[in-house]
Amino acid sequence: MKLKIGFFYSNLLNLYGDTGNVEILRFRAEKRGIDAEVIEVNADTKLTSDLMSELNIIVMGGGPDSGQKQMYEDLLHNKGSYLKEYIESGGAGIYICGSYQLLGHYYKSADGKMLDGLGVFDLYTRSFGVKRPRCIGNMMCELNPDILNDPVFRSISSNTDSPNSGYPVFNFMSLVGFENHSGRTYLGAQTKPFAKVIKGHGNNSEDGTEGVHYKNSIGTYMHGPIFSRNPHLADYLIGKALKLDSLDRLDDSLVYRAHSFSETLPQ
Amino acid sequence: MFFIYSLLAKLIRAFVLLLNRGSGFSLPGYVLLKLNPSILSSSRIKFKKGLILISGTNGKTTTAKLITHVLNSNGLKVIHNDTGSNLLRGIVSAVFMNTSLLGGFDADVGVFEVDEFALPALLNYFKPSVLVLLNLSRDQLDRYGEVDIIFDRWREAVSKLSSSSYIVADSEQEEFKELHPVFPGILKTFGSDSSLLHHTKLHGKFNAKNVNAAYMACSRLGFEKENITEKLGTFKAAYGRGESFVYGDKNFTILLAKNPASFNNNLDLVNSGKFPADTLFFILNDNLPDGRDVSWIYDIHPDKLFEACKNKNIFVGGTRFLDMAVRLKYAGVLYPDEDKEKNSDNLNNDLGVLIKKITGSEKIMDVLILPNYSSMLEIRKLLLGRKIL
Repeated sequence: MKLKIGFFYSNLLNLYGDTGNVEILRFRAEKRGIDAEVIEVNADTKLTSDLMSELNIIVMGGGPDSGQKQMYEDLLHNKGSYLKEYIESGGAGIYICGSYQLLGHYYKSADGKMLDGLGVFDLYTRSFGVKRPRCIGNMMCELNPDILNDPVFRSISSNTDSPNSGYPVFNFMSLVGFENHSGRTYLGAQTKPFAKVIKGHGNNSEDGTEGVHYKNSIGTYMHGPIFSRNPHLADYLIGKALKLDSLDRLDDSLVYRAHSFSETLPQ
Repeated sequence: MFFIYSLLAKLIRAFVLLLNRGSGFSLPGYVLLKLNPSILSSSRIKFKKGLILISGTNGKTTTAKLITHVLNSNGLKVIHNDTGSNLLRGIVSAVFMNTSLLGGFDADVGVFEVDEFALPALLNYFKPSVLVLLNLSRDQLDRYGEVDIIFDRWREAVSKLSSSSYIVADSEQEEFKELHPVFPGILKTFGSDSSLLHHTKLHGKFNAKNVNAAYMACSRLGFEKENITEKLGTFKAAYGRGESFVYGDKNFTILLAKNPASFNNNLDLVNSGKFPADTLFFILNDNLPDGRDVSWIYDIHPDKLFEACKNKNIFVGGTRFLDMAVRLKYAGVLYPDEDKEKNSDNLNNDLGVLIKKITGSEKIMDVLILPNYSSMLEIRKLLLGRKIL
């Protein structure tokens, strides 16, 4: 058993410490005795079906405009069809900020210019430019019921001490992070959000949704990096990637404290 | 009007100090800019021998202090925002604090460090004879935005400077090459050659660049190499940037580590053994001057972090000490966190508690503190009794 992490556009889409997500996945696998390998897939990487079939989890972050310009054509023309097939067939992955937007139908900028996306997720994104403020700040969200009721997730969240063990209390329903985006994302009618916003803007600061959950893929605006204070989410995706029913417990007392503290941060 | 502005600035400063509401370096400039946004274009503000502006993500304070030190040692009267108050208001304050009571203005050179976001606005009013552009890297994305955006603003601002202006820029920053075609003056670059650095007590490649930049700025003002290198020998590190002192019989050194580039640079210094230490003290705040997004700590290189912490006592403080502790855990430092006996006492948001523990420990002799910006001011206040100078 080996966790093979496909880190897409690691050199171009790494604005918000999202490399940390890869570091954390590797750490959480290795501490359980599971081998982990990071495979960087960049604009000059030739993707093949063989290489794709080896990956069992994909991480793709957000980048500066210049980085997104450099990878956009490559994603659309070279990598897109592979990625689409991977996600449709249930491959696990997390797509953050810029890459979350690019997996939707399109991105419409403030001047009306349309940028096609891969259309894997049923959603679109609009930017209103200076007419609406950027969505910046601390976030707290509640995971959607599909994830909360998933057998893997239930096994992870039951993996805790009794309340009087002295171990920090942890709210398995909640996610904490930091968002920084100008685009507003709107989900299709049948599309499920990844989480419900408790604090912050989320997809569009209107409908209370955050991100998207589709098969075993998650799109989100949450940085932090997202896995740093949400170990339950990292473990859920590791479980999905390796098709495990349960995972051994790791000592997360520090992380639990950091998570609980983050819930109290002002937006 | 100049006389009134000048008097007003001093009155405001006096009031701030009287009411004990801070150092009073920002408010006078803030008020004057409200009264007259283009106050810096006043013909009364004339620097006889030149105006030097320094901007970039890291190294501003040290480079500005290096230049000021060389010029002062040569007997020049320099006006310098040495408190690090580097927005427009800080520069206006520095100028009007240095006028005479009657508004007389007499200075040979102005040396100002300038916030990278504020630089384009400042260049509308203030025409430098030398502009030092140090570097641009990720810093406070929630406040500044992406590096690309800052650089685009710089390029536009620089294109409007006169042909007599002179830019000194880092040769390794790719973006700066795009300035050549748009900038009408002369642009010279500096590298990381360390031959001048050896004349100072500073260390590290990043400081070699700061020294080289300062050298080029001083040469442009007409100083000879022998003169500059001699003055470099008596330079003392700027506050929080490699300054060392004794507190409670322990040796402390503060290395400001406020963004990924400066943090990684400082870890290189620690790992090179330039600052021998048995204890590392990390402090992470998320106050307004720091930016509230702490995700940048995952751009700290995990292997460098692990190497720096090996066989050392680790203390972690600040408003986001738990985030920093988790970052250390994922670099393999504080793991397993089950080792609670050892760790929990060393992790605290209250810096006073941690300092007490450090000074009370017989095992500890040499402490390296790596704070981000507001936590650097806080720890200086605790250990030296003052935040800045």
